[in-house]
Amino acid sequence: MAKPEVKEAYPSGDDEGLTQQQYLTFMLGGETFAIGILAIKEIIEYGNLTEVPRMPEFIRGVINLRGAVVPVIDLSARFGKRATQVARRTCIVILEVDNGDGDTQDIGILVDAVNEVLEIPESDIEPAPSFGASIKSQFINGMGKVNERFVIILDIGHILLIDELSALAAGQPEMEEAIAQDDEA
Amino acid sequence: MDMDDALQTFIAEGRELLEDMEAALLGIEHDPENPETVNAIFRAAHTIKGSAGLFGLDYLVSFTHVVESVLDQVRAGELAVSTDLVAVLLTSCDHLSDLLSWVSTGEENLNDDMQRKSASIEQRLSTYLSGSSVAADVVESSAQEADAAAAEENDVCAAQDAAVSDQDLWHLSLRFGHDVLRHGMDPVSFIRYLATLGTIHHIETLWDELPAADKMDPESCYTGFEISFISDESKETIENVFEFVREESSIRIFTPDSRREEYIRLIQELPEEDMKIGEILVRCGTLTRCELEAALSSQQQSDESLKPIGEYLLEEKAVQPEVMSAALNKQKSVKDARPPEASLIRVDAEKLDTLINLVGELIIAGAGTNMIAQRSGMPDLMEATETLSRLVEEVRDSALNLRMVQIGATFNRFQRVVRDVSQELGKDIVLKISGGETELDKTVVEKIADPLTHLVRNAMDHGIEAADIREAKGKPAQGNLKLNAYHDAGSIVIEVSDDGGGLSKEKILSKAIDRGLISDGSGMADKEIFNLIFEAGFSTADQISNLSGRGVGMDVVRRNIEALRGTVELDSEPGKGTTVKIRLPLTLAIIDGFLVGVGNSGYVIPLDMVVECVEYGAWKESGSNSSCLNLRGEVLPYIRLGDYFDEASSGQRRERESVVVVRYGEHKVGLVVDRLMGEFQTVIKPLGRMFSRISGISGFTILGSGEVVLILDVPGLVQEAESYFSEHEKRAISA
Repeated sequence: MAKPEVKEAYPSGDDEGLTQQQYLTFMLGGETFAIGILAIKEIIEYGNLTEVPRMPEFIRGVINLRGAVVPVIDLSARFGKRATQVARRTCIVILEVDNGDGDTQDIGILVDAVNEVLEIPESDIEPAPSFGASIKSQFINGMGKVNERFVIILDIGHILLIDELSALAAGQPEMEEAIAQDDEA
Repeated sequence: MDMDDALQTFIAEGRELLEDMEAALLGIEHDPENPETVNAIFRAAHTIKGSAGLFGLDYLVSFTHVVESVLDQVRAGELAVSTDLVAVLLTSCDHLSDLLSWVSTGEENLNDDMQRKSASIEQRLSTYLSGSSVAADVVESSAQEADAAAAEENDVCAAQDAAVSDQDLWHLSLRFGHDVLRHGMDPVSFIRYLATLGTIHHIETLWDELPAADKMDPESCYTGFEISFISDESKETIENVFEFVREESSIRIFTPDSRREEYIRLIQELPEEDMKIGEILVRCGTLTRCELEAALSSQQQSDESLKPIGEYLLEEKAVQPEVMSAALNKQKSVKDARPPEASLIRVDAEKLDTLINLVGELIIAGAGTNMIAQRSGMPDLMEATETLSRLVEEVRDSALNLRMVQIGATFNRFQRVVRDVSQELGKDIVLKISGGETELDKTVVEKIADPLTHLVRNAMDHGIEAADIREAKGKPAQGNLKLNAYHDAGSIVIEVSDDGGGLSKEKILSKAIDRGLISDGSGMADKEIFNLIFEAGFSTADQISNLSGRGVGMDVVRRNIEALRGTVELDSEPGKGTTVKIRLPLTLAIIDGFLVGVGNSGYVIPLDMVVECVEYGAWKESGSNSSCLNLRGEVLPYIRLGDYFDEASSGQRRERESVVVVRYGEHKVGLVVDRLMGEFQTVIKPLGRMFSRISGISGFTILGSGEVVLILDVPGLVQEAESYFSEHEKRAISA
């Protein structure tokens, strides 16, 4: 696997429309996923995580990010797969997400390894398939075609919906079910 | 300055002024003789009018003007303070607040509704105005130019000139401060007011300070006046005319029998050229030309060493003794009456938060340095870091203090609520406030106002009986409502108590059973029964009034208080009254913490709540398996934190387990931990939305090593232990 590198850095005179098409790709359980880079604040090495007791598996704990306490989500567990095993290349990607109050909150996601920043033109992005994907379709923003292969572009806003996470944290699964039903309807 | 920002500031300040005005109006009912109160009200109205003028808010200016005119008459003693007048003024106050809200909408003109309201209140106010008084004369817009008016005054003077030339004159030397216009003061209105106390003989306007047109700030005041004046009033009365501008302006008043030396001093002290002032004094008729010449020549000879000005003044009898003592008394009463006003700086709350965040990081960094110093074992370094951490602690305390506000202002707001509600209910109720100087975090203060309002209204509506019932019961007809606050073990306690009928246990029980809240009331302590009224959907009032009694009040109160990490408790004695106790954490930001280890994790317990630490061994050996420990004969429910948080224990418990006894309110609970790791200053990092529903944990904190640890939610744990304990007991009894 290649070292993480920025393939398409911000060229000078870049406009909003172009940066919108840049994605960070990363590995999770052997699959490649992508996130739009606008939501990403930074990528840090895994370490010094404090577990929070009585939390569901997908909330791994909290870390100290230069004085701020940031929760870390195990993305794999969030997708209903087995919990991520920490290895040498395990990273925490710090994301800035809308907390529903018009404010933003930082959340870290645990990934197996980060790959690179790619540019995926809109024409190469297909809508999410209604079935057949390895994760719930409402978590998918689209399928990006890169080198004749598809990477799953994640809908971070949906995956890290704070209200839903906190409801799940309190042991109330109804909300997710409700959303799932909504989706099917 | 950005006009929008300025407007926001105006609205915020306006609201504060209205609060002051309301408080003063409520005060004046009880103490109509206090001139300071009248002045405070007048000042508030005047400042709002002045600022509104700056923004061209005509509807606000014209309405405030009418209010001000009435107040002016009150101030001048032409109008007596009556309950009706206060009522109208309070209504005006409310309307002004509405008008300010209207300003924030950004609409240029009032809608019909508001206009009608303005007009009707103005109508009511104008009945108090006695036709052609001076106050009514000030009808012109507040942004009037000083020079036009000064010219006007000049004419008046000229006319009177001849008549009074041989009479001895007062002399007033006025240099208004640059900011008076910005503060809503119009120099001309002071001179107008002065004219009501006597006759202005001559007036000279001084323009010397006026800079070149390009350097001039149109909002600044550059004018000075020299006035000769005929009046029989005392020096104090004349001085009082300029009370509002005394601080920022230079006001000198000379009695008719003033001696030449004082004029000489005036000539010397004023920034303008000596000769010119002299000329002006002559023109004013204060000095004759030969007096001036004598004065100027004697001035050259009198090069005596400078005496302290006070001594000089006394020697010269420039200050009349009664004026002096009056001034001193005044100063004192001003200090007593309004300490918050003059000494405040308006700071953006965000700046404060940034500072506190930085102090928080400083504490974390400091703790890290301390740890390294300890490890290095260098005595010098340890000493230095010790000093450093003491200073950091002080910085922390003062930074936190910045956020602390006295609860008195919030309490005082209830004077109005009590006044209005008691009139509405036809009950005679007085509000007694104590502990108003108790401080707590500003964010807490803001959020406590609503629950308090609920409690106060409830007490007035349901608690305190009507006057005839009270008399029948042998109580004084006037009901008492008390608001009290004090600090207790790291929390602040706020009490709302009334001397009304108290709660009826039977009524609560039957209602609770009715509503299915409990199955039967046997074995419940009185307190538990009373606290049922905080359950959702509970209301004991038979009749629903528009104040309270919809059964939504009390549970909302409890929810709001719990959201602040506080608790609420109620105690009642039939026939004597009810007391509601709200207990809140003092601060939301930084605390002294006690670090304990459980399994592989650390937990922080707020130090204020720790009572003592006891070794657990003795109890373990006795093999007792009950839900409580025997602490020197006291029953102590306890929680094993390791089990509670499912901490993976490191095989066998090798460590010496300890019991940390914590107290919250009246409850004590033991927490069994593996290790005691000592005190730490900790910065509370809020749980954030994601962990908002977690139990047993109230926040995060960061240790010197950079590790994140959890802060225990002691009130929550205490409650859980208590309920577990009582359940266990019940089972034990039934078994």
